[in-house]
Amino acid sequence: MHRYPFTMPDQRTLVANLVLLVLAGAAVMTSLSMGTVQIAPAEVIRALTGTTDDPMAAFVINELRLGRVMAGLLSGAALALAGCLMQTLARNRLATPGIIGIDNAATAFAVASVVGTGIALAPSAMALAGAATATVLAFGLAGANGTRGYRFIVAGLGIGAIAGAVTQVMLSQVAIDDANAAYPWTVGSLNARTPESVQLLALGLAVGCLALMCLSRAVNSLQFSDPVAITLGIKLKRTRLLGLGLSVLMTGLAVSVCGPVGLVALLAPELARSLCRPGKVPLTASALAGAGFMVVADLLGRTLFSPLEIPVGIITAIVGSPYLLWILLRPSTRSLT
Amino acid sequence: MIPTDTLAAERITLAHRHLTVAKDLSVQLPPAKVTAIVGPNGCGKSTLLNGLARIHAPSSGTVLLNGKDIHRLPTKEVARKLALLPQENTAPEGLTVGDLVRFGRQPHQGWMTPWSEGDQRAFDHAVTAADVGYLINRPLDTLSGGQRQRAWIAMAVAQETPLLLLDEPTSALDLGHQIEVFELIRHLSGQGKTVAMVVHDLASACRYADHMVAMKQGVIIEEGAPAQIVSPALVQELYGVSCDLIHDPATGSPLLINVRRHIQKR
Repeated sequence: MHRYPFTMPDQRTLVANLVLLVLAGAAVMTSLSMGTVQIAPAEVIRALTGTTDDPMAAFVINELRLGRVMAGLLSGAALALAGCLMQTLARNRLATPGIIGIDNAATAFAVASVVGTGIALAPSAMALAGAATATVLAFGLAGANGTRGYRFIVAGLGIGAIAGAVTQVMLSQVAIDDANAAYPWTVGSLNARTPESVQLLALGLAVGCLALMCLSRAVNSLQFSDPVAITLGIKLKRTRLLGLGLSVLMTGLAVSVCGPVGLVALLAPELARSLCRPGKVPLTASALAGAGFMVVADLLGRTLFSPLEIPVGIITAIVGSPYLLWILLRPSTRSLT
Repeated sequence: MIPTDTLAAERITLAHRHLTVAKDLSVQLPPAKVTAIVGPNGCGKSTLLNGLARIHAPSSGTVLLNGKDIHRLPTKEVARKLALLPQENTAPEGLTVGDLVRFGRQPHQGWMTPWSEGDQRAFDHAVTAADVGYLINRPLDTLSGGQRQRAWIAMAVAQETPLLLLDEPTSALDLGHQIEVFELIRHLSGQGKTVAMVVHDLASACRYADHMVAMKQGVIIEEGAPAQIVSPALVQELYGVSCDLIHDPATGSPLLINVRRHIQKR
């Protein structure tokens, strides 16, 4: 008899998640303690728990840095989760919201509200509307095949390019002050966030995580072909629609906080996949990796050339682009299709 | 297992976009028997199987599972009654044989329900039946075609459904493994499972099926026990080849000999 040692939950994935959690925690602590004023980790903890005697430290940690680190944590997790989900739905590792133009469209819509085109909606709502528009368009252009195959990606690339161009046109047409205000949106930065958009993101992420817990089995089955998924009793259309909706929601809300830091959605799931047990969609690990990655990237951007600040989107692009090239150029391309 | 579950198609028409592939088909799978669907390439065999498995919704007519429209039943309930092994399969990179077979238990598991004793029993049985025990920790992408096919069969068997549909289950296998898979199918039907399979090799269909459905250009042209319906005339009509027919001295099943195709001068 061949007994198969099943461990629930799987050990390798559990260890990977724990390691990523610890790393994200370390990134948060480092990020809170480093900056123009260095604060010892012990003092950071005292400031966070409200037991410090140093009002300066309390102010720097709780008022200046905590909000930013939380924004990075949440937006990184949301982008990575959205990326991992969309890769699975499209059965293609390139199909992340950043690549298929959702980030760019969300940005274009958000910029439209910031530069005063007369559209007075909040950037969060605009970014969400942009993300949804891009997804619907990509779907429409890809035709009946839906998320299947490269058509979705090619359509998304085109939409992303158009959205990027629209953003540039808007920026070139408005007053320089407005253009400056919108600048962080175009590169991806944690500087331009509003407290409301972060709260909305936290809410959206919580809803997304809950929904994904219910969907996880169905999402795992989507790794197979449609006939197999149907045979296993998965409601294909409902799962796709819900998954895509969640992906759009999380991307839109994240972009309204940090702008188009797209490569997180590509890199984090990839890292998670290499750490976790193969054959399962690593949703939790992706979220943790994305959160940690975003905080680290922002920390590097703040401290590398301090007092000059490099937007987090530029850091992730510098780290992420070579990686993207590597997946495109490596000899085995079977993972891409 | 007492065969109580029935699967039938009632005047179904199946189309890919606007191209009708199969028209007005009615079939009933005999319970606890093996049905072979045969016919030339492109005759609609796989489409019919996919129609029966609710993968392909008919543009008219109904597929009935236990007398009820299969598309109106909850899909998870159907998944506990009917398993399909499609012709081409892709698996996530790095997935092991054990994990693949484990997916077969999914229709029996509820939300957050852990792996039960029953799941383990079904798993062990499927793994033993398909002889993939020694491969259990191997990733699928490191296996030979035959080993991979047996792993997929194990997954379908682990689903423990009274109805099993297989699309060319032996196409990638060598002779030894072909026989092994066909014997497994016989064994499963002996336990009360109703099996339908698309088969290319007419001899294997004759040898291992109780019931045969012969299709040409989207229409069923003949149906019945292989020994009764297979004739040189049927072979001529299906494949455009001439042959003589003898009976296997050992098993009595029809055998085609002296098969030849007359090349028509245009």
